Amino acid sequence: MSFDGATPHLTPAATPAADDPKGTVTVSSDLLSTWMGFADVQRRTLGVVQTELARTSQHVEDATLDLSARFRILAEKAMEQSERVAQIVAVAGTVRIDDEQVPLDQLVVGMQDMITDMVSNIVTLSRHAMSMVYLLDDVQKDVVELEKSIGDIDVINRQTNFLALNATIEASRAGEAGRTFAVVAQEVRHLSHSTGDLAKRMRSKITAVVKGVRNGHEILRQIANTDMSPQMLAKERVDKTMDSLVEQTTHFQSVLETAASVSADMSSTIARVITGMQFQDLTKQRIEGINDSLAIMSAGLDELEGQIRAEVPSSIGAREPQEWLNSLLNRFTLSEMRGRFVRKLLLEGTALDENGVLDVDVSHSDSAGGDIELF
Amino acid sequence: MDYGIEQRDQEAAVRLRGRLTFNDHAKLRALIGEMKQNKAKRQVLDLSSLEFVDSAGIGMLLIAREEMVAATKELVLRGAVGQVKRVLTVAQIGKIVTIED
Repeated sequence: MSFDGATPHLTPAATPAADDPKGTVTVSSDLLSTWMGFADVQRRTLGVVQTELARTSQHVEDATLDLSARFRILAEKAMEQSERVAQIVAVAGTVRIDDEQVPLDQLVVGMQDMITDMVSNIVTLSRHAMSMVYLLDDVQKDVVELEKSIGDIDVINRQTNFLALNATIEASRAGEAGRTFAVVAQEVRHLSHSTGDLAKRMRSKITAVVKGVRNGHEILRQIANTDMSPQMLAKERVDKTMDSLVEQTTHFQSVLETAASVSADMSSTIARVITGMQFQDLTKQRIEGINDSLAIMSAGLDELEGQIRAEVPSSIGAREPQEWLNSLLNRFTLSEMRGRFVRKLLLEGTALDENGVLDVDVSHSDSAGGDIELF
Repeated sequence: MDYGIEQRDQEAAVRLRGRLTFNDHAKLRALIGEMKQNKAKRQVLDLSSLEFVDSAGIGMLLIAREEMVAATKELVLRGAVGQVKRVLTVAQIGKIVTIED
C-alpha cells in the first residue's frame, strides 16, 4: 500500500531465516507490533471509507431524486405556459362580435368598406344638394317672372276696364242706338273685374309659392353649406388606425407564437435533463460494487489479523502508526468527514463507543478549523 | 375663389385659386357655362392653386363633369395638392372624373 508523498518508514528489525525446516521465519516483535498497528488502522479506515462511500451514494441519490422532482414540476409548468400562450395566440387575431369570432383583418376590411360607402354617400348627397340648389335658383328666377306677368295682367286689366268705361259713356251718348252696345260694354267691365279678381287670387297663391320656394332654398343652402369634408377626411385617420391595429396584432401574434415554441422547447429540454439524471443509478451500482470489494478486503484483513494475534504473545501489543495516521488524516479535508473518521479511529471499541457516542451524527459539528489532538 | 381661363391648342385650362366652397356656387355655374361655350373638347380644371374644397365644392365639380359629358366634352382635374388632393382621394373622385397629377 502506498500513500502519496508520505510513505511510513517500516524498518525491518530482523532478516528471515531461510533455512527453517517448518517454513517459519523469525520476525522481530517490533515489526509485528508495527504491522498489527497498521492492520488495525487499515481495517478501521476501510470501514470509514465504506461508510463514506455509502453515505455519498445516498447523498447523490437523494439530491438526484429531489432535482428530478423539481425538474418535473418545471417541465409541467413550462407545458402549461405553452398551452396558455397557444390559447392566447388562437384568439389574438380575432374579435368577438355577437358570439362570433371575427378575424381582425376581415373586420377591418368590413369597417373600411362601411366608411368608403359613407364617404361615397356624402359625395352623392353633396352633388344632389348642389343640383337642387341650381334648380331652385332657376325656379326663383321663374317665380319673379311670374310675379311680373301677374303685374302685366293687372295693367292690361286696368286698360280693359278703362276701355269698357269709355265704351259705356260713348253708348249712352249714342242714345237708343247705343243701348245694345252699352250692354256689351257692361259685360266687358264685369269680365275685367273677374280677371282682376283672378289675378288677385293668383298673386296671393304665387306669393305663397314664392315664400315656400325661398324657405326651401334657404334650408337647402344651409344643408349644402354644411361642410362634410372633415368627415370624409376622417376616413384617412380610420384607415391608418385600422392598419396600425392589424400590424400590431400581427406582431403580438408572432411574438406569442415564438413564446409558445420556446416554452415547448423548454419543456422537452427539461424532459431530457430528467432522463440524464439516470446517471445516478449507474453511479450507485458502481459504488456498491466498490464497497463490496472493500468489504471482502476488510474481512480478509480482519481474519489475517486475528490469526496473527492468536500466534503472537500477548506481551506484544499493536503500535499506533502515528506518522501514517497523520498522513491519512490530511486527506480528509472536509471537516465533517474528518470528524467521522477521527471518531471511528479513536472511539471504536472504547467505553464511549459502547455508550453510543459513535451513533451521534457529527455532520453539523463545527471542527473545520479546530485542531484535533489525536495522540 | 376666383379663376382664369387659358385657351390652348386642344384644351381649355381653368386655374382655380383660393377656396372652393358653397358660397362660390353661382360663380362656378357661370364657369360651367363658359366651359360649355368653349370650343375645346378637353376642359382642364387646374387645381394646383386651390387651397381648400368643401363637400359642396366636390358636388359642384361632379355637376361640372355631368355638364361636360352632356356637351360631349371631357373634364380633367389636374394638379390637386394638400387638402384638395386628400379629399379627392378619399371621395374616390378618380373613379368618376379623370385626375392628373
